[in-house]
Amino acid sequence: MHDSGTNRILEIEDLHAYYGRSHVIQGLSMDVARLEAVSILGRNGVGKTTTLRSILGLNPPRKGRIQINGEDTTRWPTHRIVRKGIGYVPAERYIFPGVSVEENLRLAAKPSADNDAWNMEKVYNHFPILRARNRQDGSTLSGGEQQMLAIGRALMGNPIIMLLDEPSQGLAPLLVYEVIQPILLFCIQSGLTLLLVEQNHRMALKVASRHYLMDIKGKVGQIATSEELMADSEIIKKHLAV
Amino acid sequence: MGIERRNTHPIRIVALLILVACLALFPFVVTNRFYISLVNEMLIYGLLAMSLDVLLGYTGLLSFMHNAYLGIGAYVVGLFLIHVSPSSLWLAILTGMVVTSLISLPVGWVQVRTGGLAFALLTLAFGMMFYTIVWKWYDLTGGDDGLMGVPHPDIHLAGIVLGNSGNPTAMYLLTLCLVLICFFLTWRIIRSPFGAVLEAIRENEERASFVGINVRRYKLYGWMYACMLGSVSGALFILYRGYIGPTTMSAFAGAGVLMMVLVGGMGSLWGPIVGAGIFIFIQDYISTMTEHWELFV
Amino acid sequence: MTTILSTKGLHKHFGGVLAVNDVDVEFQSNCLRSIIGPNGAGKTTFINVITGKLSASSGAVLFGEQDITNRPGHRLVRLGICRTFQITSIFMGLTVFENVRIATQSRLGGSLRIFSAKESLKAVNRKTWKILDRLGMETKADVPSNNLAHGDQRLLEVAMALAGNPKILFLDEPTAGMSPAETEHIAKLIKGLTDTIAVVLVEHDMDVVMSISDEITVLNQGSVIAEGPPREIQNNDLVKEAYLGHA
Repeated sequence: MHDSGTNRILEIEDLHAYYGRSHVIQGLSMDVARLEAVSILGRNGVGKTTTLRSILGLNPPRKGRIQINGEDTTRWPTHRIVRKGIGYVPAERYIFPGVSVEENLRLAAKPSADNDAWNMEKVYNHFPILRARNRQDGSTLSGGEQQMLAIGRALMGNPIIMLLDEPSQGLAPLLVYEVIQPILLFCIQSGLTLLLVEQNHRMALKVASRHYLMDIKGKVGQIATSEELMADSEIIKKHLAV
Repeated sequence: MGIERRNTHPIRIVALLILVACLALFPFVVTNRFYISLVNEMLIYGLLAMSLDVLLGYTGLLSFMHNAYLGIGAYVVGLFLIHVSPSSLWLAILTGMVVTSLISLPVGWVQVRTGGLAFALLTLAFGMMFYTIVWKWYDLTGGDDGLMGVPHPDIHLAGIVLGNSGNPTAMYLLTLCLVLICFFLTWRIIRSPFGAVLEAIRENEERASFVGINVRRYKLYGWMYACMLGSVSGALFILYRGYIGPTTMSAFAGAGVLMMVLVGGMGSLWGPIVGAGIFIFIQDYISTMTEHWELFV
Repeated sequence: MTTILSTKGLHKHFGGVLAVNDVDVEFQSNCLRSIIGPNGAGKTTFINVITGKLSASSGAVLFGEQDITNRPGHRLVRLGICRTFQITSIFMGLTVFENVRIATQSRLGGSLRIFSAKESLKAVNRKTWKILDRLGMETKADVPSNNLAHGDQRLLEVAMALAGNPKILFLDEPTAGMSPAETEHIAKLIKGLTDTIAVVLVEHDMDVVMSISDEITVLNQGSVIAEGPPREIQNNDLVKEAYLGHA
């Protein structure tokens, strides 16, 4: 086992990713420190989702290096990477249909001896509506409920880092700011490291402290803190608006 | 700035001529009836395999029971000779080709609405349907017994009788001629603008569509041509044997034809002919072995 | 400026999702119009419906005065509506020359000729060389297209679309996965096309979009939220809100 005294949970060095021959990420470097919440902000099509897929081994990098908790996971198969402790909340949620809320959660459970570990009870406490619908077929939930379920499912694995792909997508602002945002903040407080990918910067600014502003083909235009971005709205506009 | 015609390489032509000459002289050198019939059968199945290659190697369509069209052609020719005119060789062959094409039209029309696996499964379904019809329609086809006693018409050209189709050597030479004609014709068609369309469909159906090709229509043309060639092989089959039964139209035989194409090499036209040769040789060789084996046991 | 193609009240449902919602757009000749929009805006779906890859749920696509809604793609090519795809779609097993030649042959005719060699269609060959020259690919004519670099493959696809003699050309993310040099090359080329035809671009590279577009249509969640020249779009509040999110 690698010495996990390293401060960096995630390190990406000069990542080049392809879809077939299409060179979609042309040299990306970034890192996420322990207990940090970091976001990747950018318009659609710049390569945000591809970055997450590369980390997870769903789209293995052609060139470059990815390290998770000090270990080189660049060429690892997905299941091995996930077992290292990655919680993944995809943009499409991918809730298992034909399976109840409770079973969705149970399938993802990875028990931990920790007192504060995430288990079904804890998830239900933070998402009471999931408790109310615990026997319902997961695919019949509303968009917002599915997002809660997706996050809860990722938490059940007791990960060391959570990757979230556009958690606010398609959700009403009320839901985003009253439910999703607080849960993510709670995750950080309880010792989880977060990497968030977003088009909607408003939530990202509140949840994450450091932001990679990504342009087309995975190029990082700028790295800024939430304070810097809130002070100067032009930075956001430059990379997110047209 | 022209594109070189790659087919007129002199060595290739010489090699081809030598091969044709060998094949033509074969029955006069090896006078054993059995071997003449064997090579005859290789040529017939070679033609069928080549027609399947037009579908598979050039249009990209997998037909599981292409032998069905050999069968249909054979039955039509046989029935024509029995019931209509026992002496009209060419008319019989022509009728076989026309009727098979007419049958292949609606089948093809349904099949080209799909592609890939669905297409292949439909060819299997239709193939089994024809097999069953032939098997059950006793009054017409003789059912399981098959069509027997098919007359052997004379082979005549421009009023001159060249031989009789019951004579192995004469039939062999007729087969060789027709197979060569079909091969040459198919070779020209593959290299034609029409053949280019088929290749485009094989490479990328969607892109073919979006450069303006009516994919369904051209798949149908390719299909009908392949079935027509299959019917020619069927005509040659029944003329040489005087008999056709449903086994020739079975799924097992169908798999055999497919193997001939795969063994010989898709997309080369002559490859499947070689494949047919190998396949029939092995089939024959193994059955000989078994025979001898049984003799000793 | 004449309107080559227009959509009127175009809708497209996928199950419960309304991907294209009541879209009215007019495409003018000699104009380069880009279609942009944030996630799930429906850009590619919109193009797919116009070009006959998908059927419309309701509404119309008009080519001049002709209603061409739901006509199959190959028939639209004959009218002069051609396109490229987001994921390169060419004839991988054929040479560069043959890729363009077969596209040209389909347009000019001769596909039913079975007894002549395909190389003998002189007008088709001439036009094929012309197109290859125009795209700077004449030296690569004999290269099997699966050996080409990514950027060249995408160029080849544009060549094939041009072989259809389009009056309007739809390009779906032509610069995807291209190096900066390749991107610049193809952007210049695309801009040059508007001398003779209408071009419609779906793109994520905003530098490209802003530098070569004459007009931009912004889609958000299936609806048109803004239309105008680049400068106007960059300053449009609705557009900013769509990309930056609500207050």
